[in-house]
Amino acid sequence: MSFLFRLAARSAWNRRFTLGLMLLAIALSSAMLLGIERIRHEVREGFSQSVSGTDLVVGARTSPVQLMLYAIFRIGGATNNMGWDSAQKLAKNPAVAWTIPLSLGDSHRGFPVLATNGNYFEHFHYGDGQALHLSEGRVFGSVFETVIGAEVAQHLHYKLGDHIVLSHGMGSLHLTDHADKPFTVTGILARTGTPVDRTVHIGLDAMEAIHLDWEGGAPMPGLSIAPALVKKFDLTPKTVTAVLVGLKNRAAVFGVQRDIADDNSEPLMAVLPGVALDELWQVVGVGENALLLVSAMVVIVGLAGLVSAIMASLGERRRELAVLRSVGARPTDIFLLLALEGLAVMLAGVVLGVLLLTLALVALGPFLSAQFGVTLHATLPAAGELQLLLWTIAAGFLASLLPGLRAYRLSLADGLTPRI
Amino acid sequence: MKSISWIGGIVAAGLLVGYGAHLMATPKTSAAAAVAAAVNAGTTVAAATAASGAAAPYADNAQYKVGDHLQPGPDLSNKPYKPSGKNDGAFREIAWEALMPKNWDAMAPFKGLKLDKMEDGDPRAMEALWKAKKYWKNAPVDPSMDGVSIRIPGFVVSLEREGEALKEFLLVPYFGACIHVPPPPANQIIHVHSTKAVKNIRTMDAVWINGVLKVEHSDTMMGTAGYSLSSVKVEPYTDQAPQ
Amino acid sequence: MSDAAIALRDISFTWPGQKTPTLALDRFDVQAHEQVFVSGPSGSGKSTLLALIGGIASAQGGSVAILGQGLDALPASRRDRFRVDHIGFIFQQFNLIPYLSILDNVLLPCQFSAYRRERALAQGQDLHAAAHSLLRSLDLAPDLWRRAVTQLSIGQQQRVAAARALIGRPEIVVADEPTSALDSDRQHAFLDLIQHECEQAGASLVFVSHDQRLAERFHRRIALNDINRCASMEDAG
Repeated sequence: MSFLFRLAARSAWNRRFTLGLMLLAIALSSAMLLGIERIRHEVREGFSQSVSGTDLVVGARTSPVQLMLYAIFRIGGATNNMGWDSAQKLAKNPAVAWTIPLSLGDSHRGFPVLATNGNYFEHFHYGDGQALHLSEGRVFGSVFETVIGAEVAQHLHYKLGDHIVLSHGMGSLHLTDHADKPFTVTGILARTGTPVDRTVHIGLDAMEAIHLDWEGGAPMPGLSIAPALVKKFDLTPKTVTAVLVGLKNRAAVFGVQRDIADDNSEPLMAVLPGVALDELWQVVGVGENALLLVSAMVVIVGLAGLVSAIMASLGERRRELAVLRSVGARPTDIFLLLALEGLAVMLAGVVLGVLLLTLALVALGPFLSAQFGVTLHATLPAAGELQLLLWTIAAGFLASLLPGLRAYRLSLADGLTPRI
Repeated sequence: MKSISWIGGIVAAGLLVGYGAHLMATPKTSAAAAVAAAVNAGTTVAAATAASGAAAPYADNAQYKVGDHLQPGPDLSNKPYKPSGKNDGAFREIAWEALMPKNWDAMAPFKGLKLDKMEDGDPRAMEALWKAKKYWKNAPVDPSMDGVSIRIPGFVVSLEREGEALKEFLLVPYFGACIHVPPPPANQIIHVHSTKAVKNIRTMDAVWINGVLKVEHSDTMMGTAGYSLSSVKVEPYTDQAPQ
Repeated sequence: MSDAAIALRDISFTWPGQKTPTLALDRFDVQAHEQVFVSGPSGSGKSTLLALIGGIASAQGGSVAILGQGLDALPASRRDRFRVDHIGFIFQQFNLIPYLSILDNVLLPCQFSAYRRERALAQGQDLHAAAHSLLRSLDLAPDLWRRAVTQLSIGQQQRVAAARALIGRPEIVVADEPTSALDSDRQHAFLDLIQHECEQAGASLVFVSHDQRLAERFHRRIALNDINRCASMEDAG
């Protein structure tokens, strides 16, 4: 039996150029299949870890998913803001334990800027109920101070005391800078593995301050107010993008949600983060399934290529099989010989695919983390992925039976004297 | 002939991989929902989607329309859930009505009002109605349920996840309890902490939970808070009897 | 009869799917240590005869006995084992497995047959030594042994095939047109080697060929066309 292994290995090595291409095809396709599955899980995990302990996210009436994506994950844009009065009213609601007002819109070198108040650092939790910690420095006190996330500090090599300039909007062009009002880094947050890491935090008053001499999204030419003078003006915000709400009693969430929705003074909506995420995954799930099926098809194509490569070679190997029969190989041995070849190449392809995926994750992980705030771990396949791998191997196993069977029947028909 | 069987073999292998991928991708919905989706073809999903765009996320659970209570499997057509009386070990199966205090009457604000004797448009009627709604919303909990081991079915509202598994959720008695129907009163919501995070559960999935009920007190202006439960077992809702 | 190496009796054989039998003969015997020349052009039932002797096929009528063992009594997998234990084959061309070394090609029968393996070991310290000595006696110089199969000439390949047929001293060697692909001057040299080695090993030799000039070197000649009642008169092509 071990001799058949060696025979199959030598035979495959003899045709390594053809089979090598097939091996590469299988490796790439199984890497893709596994990769999609991995990304699916990691993104879901990353998103669900991004916020914890928040009962409601309140904002202008848009789609719940859009509000969540923008307010929590800093993806996309707000269509409307909500009034500061409504935010104040919310804070005074007897059922509410705390609120965190959020204002978004500016950016700094590609990283989103979040305007908020001290409640953020006190009440915002993520992951398994973990609070935010500063690894260095302190929370912003006066107007032009900022606290940056760990990813921002690492990527842009910022330290405490550095001066940074914020840009208007999310573009990376520096045409609309708030260059006249630079900020000082007073604090750097510890790494959380959530979009907090990519965020530059400033006070709500600071957000107002930098837009004092702007109108409609552009600076008013000629009108400029020096940073030292901003406090002469009323820096209370007029609008905020969203408010995170924590309730005294979680089970009361429906009542509060209904009250906000029924409030006629301003069209608002309140979103349960867990429910909105479920909705998001439902929508995304269709696309994910489609991607998975496509990858599975690509794996099949790879396997079919392998099978056809081996089958095509059978024609010229009939003499070889007759020789083997003459030295005592049984038809079953012939079958095993061919099946083992296919199986060996397929297994090698799958293993190579896992390796390729791991390499890709190691190489691309930091980039994806910086861009999207989602960390992809280059670990060994988890249980779900192993199941997918096993299905692939099972399919390859079945597929490699085909040339084995054909060789078996050919061998039976040819005997010692094939007619070629 | 031979080539057909070979092509068939490769296609079968492909279907295997695809099916495996599909199993991986879709969380397992309850068996009843999957079967009942065929029974309730069209109407539920279409109606719910037309009624409110936000119902669309729950279209998967096509057995239920917004406002529906739990239904048993398709063999017992359209009769609402009643506890079968079969308990699951120490956990006594109860109905949602059991969570209301025994002597609480939703119609109490209307007591003493003779509606049929009033004029049309009498402001007292509207005021009584408004009071009744508030009364219903702030319905108290039943303190005697504190510490009882119960088994109860309901719909999930996701709160906290641990990775992809659900750790904390609210259990409500009827479908779609955050959109176009009134939210359940405080004594019809159970705040569930699952001892072990549960996989493949989404908002508005129907589940059974086993656990010990606790009456939470918190000093809000709204009176006593509600029920919480640390659940030992969470399983999909199929039919009545525990397996 | 009892020491007949090969004994076929009252054979009638039809390939599956064929309407008429391809082989029908009363008797075909080869004694132990005997060297027989069988002339069998295409259509004479040669392939059928070799298939029956090798145990690849079973005759519908009659009996096949190799070294006293009736092949019909053996199940198919035992027949495969029996074949490699006692018979060595040499084909007309493409005898060797291209992705194995020369040594591995020669030692192929020893991988499948414990019987031949032991008999080979009895001749030298190890299998490699046994193979080497055979290759030497077949006029293949040691510097050729390291070469890939595809780098050998036809004549050299045929001699390696002969070594493979002879390793482990099987009792019967069947050579199916082994010289047809060789140049005429090499044919005689090859025949010399084969006959000598078979004599040395005490093996029976069944030499199938259409070349009548080679037939003179054999004491016993059988024309398959004569004994096969089903032989057609097709051209040898």
